[in-house]
Amino acid sequence: MARYFWRTGFMLACLLILTSCVGKREIDDLAMVMGVGLDLVEAENGEQHVKVTAQIARPADARGQTGAPSGQTGEPIWTISATDKSIFGAIRKLGSASSRRIFWAHSYVIVINEDLAKNGIKDIIDFFIRNPELRMRTWVAVTPDNASELVSSLTGLEVIPGQSIDGLFRYSKITRSAPRTQMIDLHAAYLSDSTELYLARLKLESNEISNKQPEQGEKQKNITLAGTGVFKGDKLIGTLSAKETRSLLLFVEDVKSGVGIVKCQDDESKFSTFELVHETLKVTPDYKNGKPEFTLTVRTTAKLVETDCTIGFDDDDKIAELETDIENELKSDVTNMLDKVQNEFGVDILEAGNVFNNEHPSEWKELRNNWNSHFEKAAIHLNMDVKLKSGALLFKPTTSGKKVDQ
Amino acid sequence: MKYKITNGMYMALIINMLYPKAIGITQGSIAREVGSDMWISTLVATLLALLIFWLLVVVIQRIPELDIIDHSKVLFGPLFSKLVSLIMFIYFVLSFGPIMVTFVYHLKDFFLPDAPVILFIVVAVIVGSYAVYFGIEVIARISLIGLFCIILLNTLLIIGSLEDFDIRELLPVFEFGITSPILASRHHLADWSIVMMMCLVILPTVNNDEGWRRSSMFGVIFSLIFVVMWPILETGVLTSQVTSQYLVACMQMARSAHIGFFLHRYEMVMIAFFGISVLTQITIALLCASVCFSKLFGSKKYHPAILPSAIIMGAYGYWVVLNHNRAMGILENSWVTYSLSITLGIIGFMWIIGFFMKKKIKNAK
Repeated sequence: MARYFWRTGFMLACLLILTSCVGKREIDDLAMVMGVGLDLVEAENGEQHVKVTAQIARPADARGQTGAPSGQTGEPIWTISATDKSIFGAIRKLGSASSRRIFWAHSYVIVINEDLAKNGIKDIIDFFIRNPELRMRTWVAVTPDNASELVSSLTGLEVIPGQSIDGLFRYSKITRSAPRTQMIDLHAAYLSDSTELYLARLKLESNEISNKQPEQGEKQKNITLAGTGVFKGDKLIGTLSAKETRSLLLFVEDVKSGVGIVKCQDDESKFSTFELVHETLKVTPDYKNGKPEFTLTVRTTAKLVETDCTIGFDDDDKIAELETDIENELKSDVTNMLDKVQNEFGVDILEAGNVFNNEHPSEWKELRNNWNSHFEKAAIHLNMDVKLKSGALLFKPTTSGKKVDQ
Repeated sequence: MKYKITNGMYMALIINMLYPKAIGITQGSIAREVGSDMWISTLVATLLALLIFWLLVVVIQRIPELDIIDHSKVLFGPLFSKLVSLIMFIYFVLSFGPIMVTFVYHLKDFFLPDAPVILFIVVAVIVGSYAVYFGIEVIARISLIGLFCIILLNTLLIIGSLEDFDIRELLPVFEFGITSPILASRHHLADWSIVMMMCLVILPTVNNDEGWRRSSMFGVIFSLIFVVMWPILETGVLTSQVTSQYLVACMQMARSAHIGFFLHRYEMVMIAFFGISVLTQITIALLCASVCFSKLFGSKKYHPAILPSAIIMGAYGYWVVLNHNRAMGILENSWVTYSLSITLGIIGFMWIIGFFMKKKIKNAK
């Protein structure tokens, strides 16, 4: 009897602690944040505070692909903001304005205003990497616009703006207008002893034509990928344009596709456009006379996708000339970017230090303390190798069939 | 212990006992010392473990029916065996600190931050004691399932992180010299010490004592295969600097894994696979402590010792995990010193002394 009693008691005790109810969160009690904006604002006492803006999905109005408005508000997102000395303080304030518990795990993007980024983003990195709720694969970007405005703007084809921004980054391998920076990269770059931080840049651009008033032209704003924000330490020191970013990405990401535009040889007012595929970069570091040097070899295959010139693929000499033209075009793009990074910013965002350390670890120990200044002075040699292999579907040039007497 | 387990179960126990702490918490400690060379330290520790395992099997094989405590009784009498029991009991109580750090910090810090620490300790102790009550055979069978889960977990992680793997992060090799990775291997060797101490107690329950050496060697080699991919992936995906920042580096790795566009944050799935392995660690530590406790007081059955052992170990585990700073201090300093001293001391002493007491061993056989 006693044994039966103890066994029953033990099972009842187990029931109490093994129900998995501790720390439970019901899905309809959560306010799912889809995007976060961080701005710098001045408080009434003159202190600089952080404004946190959270873009929260309104589930009743954000269903499916079309956002069938069963919530009847017509707004698939609800955006609120709060200001405080610290991010955590502001987030707590957001909680006091929300009828549901704010849940950060599904945030697609964190957007930081450039004024705030110029003051330093160490606290931002620290806050978001400490938080167990957040994904390490959340996109992080800077913006010259108000981050609060950017995260609350309806943009793209998706119902939720955060989802649209996520889509922009996902397919940016083709456009190459901004680096695909996630929280995990930001964290690693900040801790690195060689590589400096860089972040994608987002901008609001008027490029959408209203379907109801098309005569007004591009009036509505959309979020666009717009280059790279370059940091020294944790402070934003400058930006690279979308064109310069295309060259940067050769160093830091696997690139899928690029574009090269060259002037026609017989008529300089006309252009040929090439799609660059299988672009690869090999960085060979060297150490000469106490200074680091780098030899860059870019190899790519070009595909003629659009032309105003007369180009046929049966003329080998012309193809060779075109290859040289594309090489020069690409060389000038990469050189411009390198010039800006080395001479204007003086920071290594190209992972050159990392590559140098891998090849020359003992020399690296001498250079690591002031790597940026060594990088600034490092000689960089650039080799280009472009192979023009196809004219897409066409073999012969597109020329008019009408005959005109000369 | 009258139950017998197969050599396969024995290998599964070796792998499960090592795996939970070695893949993350240990790698964080190693990364703080040697950066991207953490996989080398893991390899060095495993090679050393292979050697110590060989000695351990030699020691127990002298009288294969008896565990290390009974060995000491045969060689030096009951009083010395009580001393060995006490030392081993203290060892297993101390081992509950790192085991609870692994269990609690994985679950509480990443999944249930609001839950009280005591809940995790109580659950671990109750579930562990329940399994111990049914004996080594049941635990060994569970560890076979645990092994299957480890394979699934590793596969999921490889699929989810290979896309972001950058081999350049593993270079340069021996960045901090050759001695540093060897020295840092002590953290992983301390993980191995729990496995070795378990073997000193349970090896006589393994069938076919002629196959012990082979099973142990394969157990160690398979453990290396399952564990070493973690420091390699952690370095290649997270970087060694990021790994060194975290208490539980493997969870950071799991949080960063993603399969394609749509399958993100499946760490909940991974932790479920991880659970059986950590449960095996808890139960084996409780079982071995209960066996030592019962032999300390001359009891033939270990069952009455389960409750007092569980209470002592639970209380110690609770004290350790209550404060992150204290937990990491113990884990990276005192635990490494004490665990390696006790393990190497017992195995080394019994191995050497066996050469001088061949007659007693022969008589006992």
